[in-house]
Amino acid sequence: MFAGLISGSENAVRFTLDPRTKLALVATVCTIMISGRVGGIMTVIHPMLALVPFALLLLFGRVKAAVSYLLAYAAAYSMISFIMPVTSGMISILIGATAGIIYRMMPSLITGYFVVSTTKVSEFNAAMERMHISSKITIPMAVMFRFFPTIKEESAAIKDAMYMRGINSLRSPMEMLEYRMVPLLMSVVKIGEELSISALTRGLSGDTKRTNICKIGFHLPDLLCFLLCIVCWICFVLHVGGMI
Amino acid sequence: MNQQSSKLQAKDLITVGIFTAIYFVVFLACAMLGFIPVFLLAMTFYGPIITGIPFMLYLTKIKKFGMVTITAVICGILMFVFGMGYFTMFTAVIFGLAADFILKAGNYTSKKNTTLAYAVYSIWFIGNYIPLYLTRESYFADLVSGYGQEYVDTLRTYTPGWMFLVLLAACFIGGLIGAALGKAVLKKHFVRAGIV
Repeated sequence: MFAGLISGSENAVRFTLDPRTKLALVATVCTIMISGRVGGIMTVIHPMLALVPFALLLLFGRVKAAVSYLLAYAAAYSMISFIMPVTSGMISILIGATAGIIYRMMPSLITGYFVVSTTKVSEFNAAMERMHISSKITIPMAVMFRFFPTIKEESAAIKDAMYMRGINSLRSPMEMLEYRMVPLLMSVVKIGEELSISALTRGLSGDTKRTNICKIGFHLPDLLCFLLCIVCWICFVLHVGGMI
Repeated sequence: MNQQSSKLQAKDLITVGIFTAIYFVVFLACAMLGFIPVFLLAMTFYGPIITGIPFMLYLTKIKKFGMVTITAVICGILMFVFGMGYFTMFTAVIFGLAADFILKAGNYTSKKNTTLAYAVYSIWFIGNYIPLYLTRESYFADLVSGYGQEYVDTLRTYTPGWMFLVLLAACFIGGLIGAALGKAVLKKHFVRAGIV
Protein backbone atom coordinates (compact mmCIF):
# COMPACT_ATOMS: atom_id res chain seq x y z
CA MET A 1 0.00 0.00 0.00
CA PHE A 2 2.81 2.35 0.80
CA ALA A 3 4.78 1.21 -2.20
CA GLY A 4 4.95 4.58 -3.89
CA LEU A 5 4.12 8.03 -2.70
CA ILE A 6 1.26 7.55 -5.11
CA SER A 7 0.26 3.94 -5.72
CA GLY A 8 3.53 2.68 -7.10
CA SER A 9 3.94 -1.03 -7.65
CA GLU A 10 6.08 -3.07 -5.34
CA ASN A 11 7.76 -5.33 -7.89
CA ALA A 12 11.52 -5.29 -7.74
CA VAL A 13 12.90 -2.61 -9.97
CA ARG A 14 16.32 -3.32 -11.38
CA PHE A 15 16.92 0.29 -12.10
CA THR A 16 16.87 2.77 -9.24
CA LEU A 17 17.59 6.41 -8.73
CA ASP A 18 18.27 8.28 -5.55
CA PRO A 19 15.34 10.53 -4.54
CA ARG A 20 17.71 13.48 -4.55
CA THR A 21 18.57 12.82 -8.18
CA LYS A 22 14.88 12.78 -8.96
CA LEU A 23 14.44 16.14 -7.27
CA ALA A 24 17.28 17.58 -9.32
CA LEU A 25 15.55 16.31 -12.46
CA VAL A 26 12.24 17.86 -11.45
CA ALA A 27 13.87 21.21 -10.72
CA THR A 28 15.69 21.15 -14.05
CA VAL A 29 12.72 20.16 -16.18
CA CYS A 30 10.30 22.50 -14.40
CA THR A 31 12.47 25.57 -14.64
CA ILE A 32 13.82 25.13 -18.13
CA MET A 33 10.73 23.77 -19.89
CA ILE A 34 8.38 26.30 -18.42
CA SER A 35 10.58 29.30 -19.02
CA GLY A 36 9.43 28.80 -22.61
CA ARG A 37 12.55 30.30 -24.12
CA VAL A 38 12.94 29.39 -27.76
CA GLY A 39 15.53 29.62 -30.47
CA GLY A 40 19.23 28.87 -30.45
CA ILE A 41 20.36 25.95 -28.35
CA MET A 42 16.94 25.65 -26.73
CA THR A 43 15.54 24.01 -29.87
CA VAL A 44 17.72 21.03 -28.92
CA ILE A 45 17.36 21.24 -25.16
CA HIS A 46 13.56 21.34 -25.16
CA PRO A 47 12.81 18.07 -26.96
CA MET A 48 15.68 16.45 -25.08
CA LEU A 49 14.25 17.39 -21.69
CA ALA A 50 10.77 16.41 -22.85
CA LEU A 51 12.13 12.95 -23.56
CA VAL A 52 13.61 12.62 -20.06
CA PRO A 53 10.38 11.67 -18.27
CA PHE A 54 9.51 9.35 -21.16
CA ALA A 55 12.82 7.51 -20.88
CA LEU A 56 12.60 7.31 -17.10
CA LEU A 57 9.06 5.97 -17.09
CA LEU A 58 10.13 3.38 -19.65
CA LEU A 59 13.14 2.35 -17.57
CA PHE A 60 10.94 1.95 -14.51
CA GLY A 61 8.53 -0.27 -16.42
CA ARG A 62 5.66 2.22 -16.80
CA VAL A 63 5.28 1.52 -20.50
CA LYS A 64 1.66 2.61 -20.76
CA ALA A 65 2.19 5.94 -19.02
CA ALA A 66 5.33 6.56 -21.05
CA VAL A 67 3.68 5.90 -24.40
CA SER A 68 0.55 7.94 -23.67
CA TYR A 69 2.71 10.84 -22.55
CA LEU A 70 4.77 10.67 -25.72
CA LEU A 71 1.63 10.61 -27.89
CA ALA A 72 0.07 13.58 -26.09
CA TYR A 73 3.26 15.57 -26.34
CA ALA A 74 3.75 14.77 -30.01
CA ALA A 75 0.14 15.70 -30.74
CA ALA A 76 0.47 19.04 -28.93
CA TYR A 77 3.77 19.74 -30.62
CA SER A 78 2.41 19.11 -34.09
CA MET A 79 -0.76 21.13 -33.34
CA ILE A 80 1.38 24.10 -32.42
CA SER A 81 3.80 23.77 -35.28
CA PHE A 82 1.42 22.86 -38.11
CA ILE A 83 -2.20 23.61 -37.32
CA MET A 84 -2.02 26.82 -35.31
CA PRO A 85 -0.32 28.94 -37.97
CA VAL A 86 -3.18 28.32 -40.39
CA THR A 87 -6.06 29.01 -38.01
CA SER A 88 -7.24 32.25 -36.49
CA GLY A 89 -9.72 33.75 -34.03
CA MET A 90 -11.43 31.64 -31.38
CA ILE A 91 -10.21 28.34 -32.80
CA SER A 92 -6.63 29.47 -32.56
CA ILE A 93 -7.16 30.54 -28.95
CA LEU A 94 -8.69 27.18 -28.06
CA ILE A 95 -5.92 25.23 -29.74
CA GLY A 96 -3.35 27.52 -28.19
CA ALA A 97 -4.77 27.03 -24.73
CA THR A 98 -5.12 23.26 -24.93
CA ALA A 99 -1.97 22.40 -26.82
CA GLY A 100 0.00 25.11 -25.05
CA ILE A 101 -0.76 23.69 -21.65
CA ILE A 102 0.21 20.20 -22.76
CA TYR A 103 3.31 21.43 -24.53
CA ARG A 104 4.57 23.58 -21.70
CA MET A 105 3.35 21.81 -18.59
CA MET A 106 3.15 18.13 -19.45
CA PRO A 107 6.89 17.40 -19.25
CA SER A 108 7.11 18.92 -15.76
CA LEU A 109 3.90 17.30 -14.60
CA ILE A 110 4.96 13.90 -15.89
CA THR A 111 8.36 14.24 -14.26
CA GLY A 112 6.55 15.07 -11.03
CA TYR A 113 4.30 12.05 -11.52
CA PHE A 114 7.33 9.89 -12.16
CA VAL A 115 8.92 11.02 -8.91
CA VAL A 116 5.89 10.47 -6.72
CA SER A 117 4.96 7.17 -8.30
CA THR A 118 8.40 5.59 -8.05
CA THR A 119 9.58 6.88 -4.68
CA LYS A 120 8.68 5.05 -1.52
CA VAL A 121 7.58 7.14 1.40
CA SER A 122 10.45 6.00 3.58
CA GLU A 123 12.95 6.59 0.77
CA PHE A 124 11.59 10.08 0.46
CA ASN A 125 11.93 10.65 4.19
CA ALA A 126 15.46 9.24 4.24
CA ALA A 127 16.55 11.49 1.40
CA MET A 128 14.95 14.54 2.98
CA GLU A 129 16.70 13.78 6.23
CA ARG A 130 20.06 13.54 4.49
CA MET A 131 19.37 16.93 2.96
CA HIS A 132 18.56 18.27 6.43
CA ILE A 133 15.10 19.38 5.47
CA SER A 134 12.90 19.96 8.48
CA SER A 135 10.27 17.36 9.29
CA LYS A 136 7.86 20.28 9.44
CA ILE A 137 7.85 20.20 5.65
CA THR A 138 8.49 16.52 4.98
CA ILE A 139 5.74 15.04 7.18
CA PRO A 140 2.96 17.16 5.65
CA MET A 141 4.34 16.44 2.17
CA ALA A 142 4.45 12.70 2.77
CA VAL A 143 0.92 12.75 4.19
CA MET A 144 -0.27 14.77 1.22
CA PHE A 145 1.01 12.34 -1.35
CA ARG A 146 -0.49 9.52 0.63
CA PHE A 147 -3.80 11.38 0.53
CA PHE A 148 -4.18 12.32 -3.11
CA PRO A 149 -5.30 8.84 -4.21
CA THR A 150 -7.62 8.61 -1.20
CA ILE A 151 -9.28 11.88 -2.12
CA LYS A 152 -9.67 10.70 -5.70
CA GLU A 153 -11.30 7.44 -4.62
CA GLU A 154 -13.65 9.05 -2.14
CA SER A 155 -14.59 11.76 -4.58
CA ALA A 156 -15.45 9.21 -7.27
CA ALA A 157 -17.63 7.26 -4.82
CA ILE A 158 -19.45 10.43 -3.74
CA LYS A 159 -19.95 11.43 -7.35
CA ASP A 160 -21.65 8.11 -8.04
CA ALA A 161 -23.82 8.40 -4.95
CA MET A 162 -24.91 11.92 -5.86
CA TYR A 163 -25.57 10.85 -9.43
CA MET A 164 -28.16 8.43 -8.09
CA ARG A 165 -29.83 11.31 -6.27
CA GLY A 166 -29.86 13.34 -9.45
CA ILE A 167 -27.32 15.90 -8.29
CA ASN A 168 -25.07 15.81 -11.27
CA SER A 169 -25.49 18.93 -13.34
CA LEU A 170 -23.80 22.26 -13.14
CA ARG A 171 -27.18 23.95 -13.37
CA SER A 172 -27.26 24.44 -9.62
CA PRO A 173 -23.61 25.01 -8.77
CA MET A 174 -24.17 25.82 -5.10
CA GLU A 175 -26.02 22.58 -4.55
CA MET A 176 -23.31 20.68 -6.43
CA LEU A 177 -20.63 22.30 -4.35
CA GLU A 178 -22.31 21.56 -1.06
CA TYR A 179 -23.40 18.01 -1.80
CA ARG A 180 -20.08 17.01 -3.24
CA MET A 181 -17.68 18.77 -0.95
CA VAL A 182 -19.27 18.24 2.46
CA PRO A 183 -19.31 14.43 2.32
CA LEU A 184 -15.82 14.45 0.88
CA LEU A 185 -14.52 16.57 3.72
CA MET A 186 -16.30 14.44 6.30
CA SER A 187 -14.83 11.18 5.06
CA VAL A 188 -11.36 12.56 4.43
CA VAL A 189 -11.18 14.09 7.90
CA LYS A 190 -12.21 10.77 9.44
CA ILE A 191 -9.62 8.85 7.40
CA GLY A 192 -7.06 11.46 8.36
CA GLU A 193 -7.73 11.02 12.05
CA GLU A 194 -7.27 7.28 11.73
CA LEU A 195 -4.07 7.73 9.77
CA SER A 196 -2.79 10.13 12.38
CA ILE A 197 -3.43 7.67 15.20
CA SER A 198 -1.80 4.84 13.28
CA ALA A 199 1.27 6.97 12.60
CA LEU A 200 1.52 7.95 16.25
CA THR A 201 1.37 4.36 17.43
CA ARG A 202 4.36 3.74 15.20
CA GLY A 203 6.27 6.36 17.09
CA LEU A 204 6.17 9.27 14.69
CA SER A 205 5.99 11.71 17.57
CA GLY A 206 8.97 10.29 19.45
CA ASP A 207 11.77 12.56 20.51
CA THR A 208 14.60 10.35 19.35
CA LYS A 209 15.98 10.40 15.87
CA ARG A 210 14.15 7.90 13.71
CA THR A 211 16.17 5.30 11.89
CA ASN A 212 15.54 4.19 8.36
CA ILE A 213 16.35 0.92 6.63
CA CYS A 214 16.22 2.36 3.13
CA LYS A 215 19.50 2.23 1.32
CA ILE A 216 19.84 5.42 -0.62
CA GLY A 217 22.96 6.60 -2.33
CA PHE A 218 24.38 7.73 -5.61
CA HIS A 219 25.33 5.27 -8.34
CA LEU A 220 26.16 5.44 -12.01
CA PRO A 221 22.60 6.28 -13.22
CA ASP A 222 22.48 9.14 -10.71
CA LEU A 223 25.76 10.46 -12.01
CA LEU A 224 24.46 10.40 -15.58
CA CYS A 225 21.27 12.23 -14.59
CA PHE A 226 23.25 14.89 -12.74
CA LEU A 227 25.51 15.35 -15.75
CA LEU A 228 22.45 15.82 -17.94
CA CYS A 229 21.03 18.38 -15.54
CA ILE A 230 24.30 20.29 -15.37
CA VAL A 231 24.64 20.40 -19.14
CA CYS A 232 21.06 21.66 -19.48
CA TRP A 233 21.61 24.33 -16.85
CA ILE A 234 24.81 25.57 -18.46
CA CYS A 235 23.10 25.82 -21.84
CA PHE A 236 20.11 27.53 -20.25
CA VAL A 237 22.17 30.10 -18.39
CA LEU A 238 24.28 30.83 -21.46
CA HIS A 239 21.10 31.17 -23.51
CA VAL A 240 19.53 33.57 -21.02
CA GLY A 241 22.78 35.50 -21.03
CA GLY A 242 22.39 35.74 -24.80
CA MET A 243 25.59 33.90 -25.65
CA ILE A 244 24.15 30.96 -27.59
CA MET B 1 -7.07 24.16 23.93
CA ASN B 2 -3.79 22.39 24.34
CA GLN B 3 -1.47 24.80 26.07
CA GLN B 4 1.15 22.38 27.25
CA SER B 5 3.18 22.72 24.10
CA SER B 6 3.06 25.42 21.52
CA LYS B 7 5.53 23.62 19.29
CA LEU B 8 4.26 21.72 16.31
CA GLN B 9 4.07 18.00 16.90
CA ALA B 10 3.71 15.07 14.54
CA LYS B 11 -0.05 15.07 14.98
CA ASP B 12 -0.31 18.70 13.92
CA LEU B 13 1.93 18.08 10.96
CA ILE B 14 -0.31 15.24 9.80
CA THR B 15 -3.31 17.55 10.11
CA VAL B 16 -1.46 20.08 7.98
CA GLY B 17 -0.78 17.40 5.36
CA ILE B 18 -4.38 16.24 5.19
CA PHE B 19 -5.91 19.66 4.86
CA THR B 20 -3.28 20.92 2.48
CA ALA B 21 -4.07 17.93 0.27
CA ILE B 22 -7.79 18.68 0.25
CA TYR B 23 -7.26 22.39 -0.18
CA PHE B 24 -4.93 21.88 -3.08
CA VAL B 25 -7.16 19.38 -4.87
CA VAL B 26 -10.15 21.72 -4.64
CA PHE B 27 -7.95 24.59 -5.71
CA LEU B 28 -6.67 22.68 -8.71
CA ALA B 29 -10.19 21.73 -9.73
CA CYS B 30 -11.00 25.46 -9.81
CA ALA B 31 -7.82 26.24 -11.71
CA MET B 32 -8.74 23.79 -14.48
CA LEU B 33 -11.22 26.38 -15.73
CA GLY B 34 -8.24 28.62 -16.46
CA PHE B 35 -8.14 27.22 -19.99
CA ILE B 36 -10.31 30.12 -21.00
CA PRO B 37 -8.35 33.37 -20.72
CA VAL B 38 -11.06 35.21 -18.77
CA PHE B 39 -11.26 32.50 -16.16
CA LEU B 40 -7.54 32.71 -15.62
CA LEU B 41 -8.16 36.10 -14.07
CA ALA B 42 -11.57 35.39 -12.54
CA MET B 43 -9.84 32.56 -10.65
CA THR B 44 -8.56 35.10 -8.14
CA PHE B 45 -12.17 35.77 -7.19
CA TYR B 46 -14.01 32.46 -7.37
CA GLY B 47 -11.04 30.35 -6.27
CA PRO B 48 -10.96 31.67 -2.69
CA ILE B 49 -14.75 31.40 -2.46
CA ILE B 50 -14.80 27.69 -3.25
CA THR B 51 -11.71 26.77 -1.26
CA GLY B 52 -13.22 28.63 1.69
CA ILE B 53 -15.14 25.52 2.74
CA PRO B 54 -12.17 23.20 3.31
CA PHE B 55 -10.05 26.02 4.66
CA MET B 56 -12.49 27.15 7.32
CA LEU B 57 -12.71 23.56 8.51
CA TYR B 58 -8.92 23.48 8.59
CA LEU B 59 -8.81 26.67 10.66
CA THR B 60 -10.99 25.13 13.32
CA LYS B 61 -8.31 22.47 13.80
CA ILE B 62 -5.47 24.94 14.11
CA LYS B 63 -4.32 25.79 17.58
CA LYS B 64 -0.67 26.45 16.96
CA PHE B 65 1.48 28.97 15.20
CA GLY B 66 3.00 28.07 11.85
CA MET B 67 0.50 25.63 10.38
CA VAL B 68 -0.90 28.04 7.80
CA THR B 69 2.62 29.01 6.82
CA ILE B 70 3.53 25.38 6.15
CA THR B 71 0.41 24.97 4.02
CA ALA B 72 1.36 28.09 2.10
CA VAL B 73 4.94 26.94 1.57
CA ILE B 74 3.79 23.58 0.23
CA CYS B 75 1.27 25.25 -2.07
CA GLY B 76 4.04 27.54 -3.30
CA ILE B 77 6.34 24.61 -4.04
CA LEU B 78 3.57 22.77 -5.86
CA MET B 79 2.72 25.84 -7.93
CA PHE B 80 6.36 26.01 -8.93
CA VAL B 81 6.22 22.39 -10.05
CA PHE B 82 3.04 23.19 -11.96
CA GLY B 83 4.91 25.87 -13.80
CA MET B 84 3.61 29.09 -12.33
CA GLY B 85 7.04 30.55 -11.62
CA TYR B 86 8.94 31.08 -8.42
CA PHE B 87 7.29 34.33 -7.27
CA THR B 88 4.48 32.33 -5.72
CA MET B 89 6.85 30.83 -3.17
CA PHE B 90 7.62 34.30 -1.81
CA THR B 91 4.04 35.54 -1.74
CA ALA B 92 3.00 32.25 -0.15
CA VAL B 93 5.46 32.67 2.72
CA ILE B 94 4.54 36.33 3.26
CA PHE B 95 0.79 35.88 3.30
CA GLY B 96 0.95 32.55 5.11
CA LEU B 97 2.93 34.16 7.92
CA ALA B 98 0.60 37.15 7.97
CA ALA B 99 -2.39 34.84 8.31
CA ASP B 100 -0.64 32.99 11.13
CA PHE B 101 -0.03 36.22 13.01
CA ILE B 102 -3.64 37.27 12.60
CA LEU B 103 -4.81 33.90 13.94
CA LYS B 104 -2.43 34.14 16.86
CA ALA B 105 -3.66 37.61 17.69
CA GLY B 106 -7.19 36.20 17.92
CA ASN B 107 -5.96 33.32 20.07
CA TYR B 108 -7.15 30.89 17.33
CA THR B 109 -10.75 31.25 18.42
CA SER B 110 -11.84 34.72 17.34
CA LYS B 111 -14.36 34.50 14.49
CA LYS B 112 -13.35 37.86 13.08
CA ASN B 113 -9.71 36.90 12.98
CA THR B 114 -10.29 33.60 11.19
CA THR B 115 -12.26 35.41 8.49
CA LEU B 116 -9.56 38.01 8.12
CA ALA B 117 -6.81 35.41 8.21
CA TYR B 118 -8.39 33.43 5.39
CA ALA B 119 -8.88 36.57 3.29
CA VAL B 120 -5.24 37.54 3.80
CA TYR B 121 -4.06 34.01 3.14
CA SER B 122 -5.97 33.95 -0.16
CA ILE B 123 -3.72 36.67 -1.53
CA TRP B 124 -0.83 34.20 -1.84
CA PHE B 125 -2.27 33.29 -5.21
CA ILE B 126 -1.34 36.70 -6.60
CA GLY B 127 2.24 35.46 -6.94
CA ASN B 128 1.17 33.59 -10.08
CA TYR B 129 0.36 36.89 -11.75
CA ILE B 130 3.49 38.79 -10.79
CA PRO B 131 5.45 37.69 -13.89
CA LEU B 132 2.59 39.07 -15.95
CA TYR B 133 3.49 42.54 -14.72
CA LEU B 134 7.04 42.53 -13.44
CA THR B 135 8.59 40.96 -16.51
CA ARG B 136 5.71 41.69 -18.84
CA GLU B 137 7.34 41.81 -22.26
CA SER B 138 9.56 38.77 -21.90
CA TYR B 139 6.72 36.87 -20.25
CA PHE B 140 4.41 37.42 -23.18
CA ALA B 141 7.19 36.72 -25.65
CA ASP B 142 7.88 33.39 -23.96
CA LEU B 143 4.20 32.56 -23.89
CA VAL B 144 3.80 32.92 -27.65
CA SER B 145 5.88 29.81 -28.34
CA GLY B 146 3.40 27.56 -26.58
CA TYR B 147 0.04 29.26 -26.58
CA GLY B 148 0.06 31.12 -29.89
CA GLN B 149 -0.24 34.81 -30.67
CA GLU B 150 -4.02 35.01 -30.43
CA TYR B 151 -4.22 33.62 -26.89
CA VAL B 152 -1.46 35.94 -25.79
CA ASP B 153 -3.10 38.97 -27.40
CA THR B 154 -6.37 38.17 -25.65
CA LEU B 155 -4.55 37.82 -22.36
CA ARG B 156 -2.74 41.09 -22.92
CA THR B 157 -5.92 43.08 -23.52
CA TYR B 158 -7.43 41.67 -20.33
CA THR B 159 -4.46 42.62 -18.20
CA PRO B 160 -3.69 46.32 -18.23
CA GLY B 161 -1.48 47.58 -15.40
CA TRP B 162 -4.26 48.59 -13.02
CA MET B 163 -5.65 45.08 -13.30
CA PHE B 164 -3.07 43.92 -10.77
CA LEU B 165 -4.74 45.92 -8.02
CA VAL B 166 -8.12 44.60 -9.07
CA LEU B 167 -6.78 41.05 -8.84
CA LEU B 168 -5.34 41.77 -5.42
CA ALA B 169 -8.67 43.10 -4.24
CA ALA B 170 -10.48 40.19 -5.89
CA CYS B 171 -8.40 37.72 -3.88
CA PHE B 172 -9.15 39.51 -0.66
CA ILE B 173 -12.87 39.99 -1.25
CA GLY B 174 -13.18 36.46 -2.60
CA GLY B 175 -11.49 35.35 0.60
CA LEU B 176 -14.00 37.22 2.75
CA ILE B 177 -16.93 35.71 0.86
CA GLY B 178 -15.30 32.29 0.97
CA ALA B 179 -14.84 32.59 4.71
CA ALA B 180 -18.51 33.48 5.14
CA LEU B 181 -19.54 30.57 2.92
CA GLY B 182 -17.20 28.22 4.74
CA LYS B 183 -18.59 29.28 8.10
CA ALA B 184 -22.16 28.79 6.92
CA VAL B 185 -21.34 25.28 5.69
CA LEU B 186 -19.52 24.50 8.93
CA LYS B 187 -22.51 25.57 10.95
CA LYS B 188 -24.96 23.69 8.78
CA HIS B 189 -23.07 20.41 8.56
CA PHE B 190 -19.91 19.93 10.54
CA VAL B 191 -20.92 21.30 13.90
CA ARG B 192 -24.04 19.19 13.81
CA ALA B 193 -22.09 16.08 12.84
CA GLY B 194 -19.63 16.69 15.65
CA ILE B 195 -16.60 16.95 13.39
CA VAL B 196 -15.66 20.42 14.56
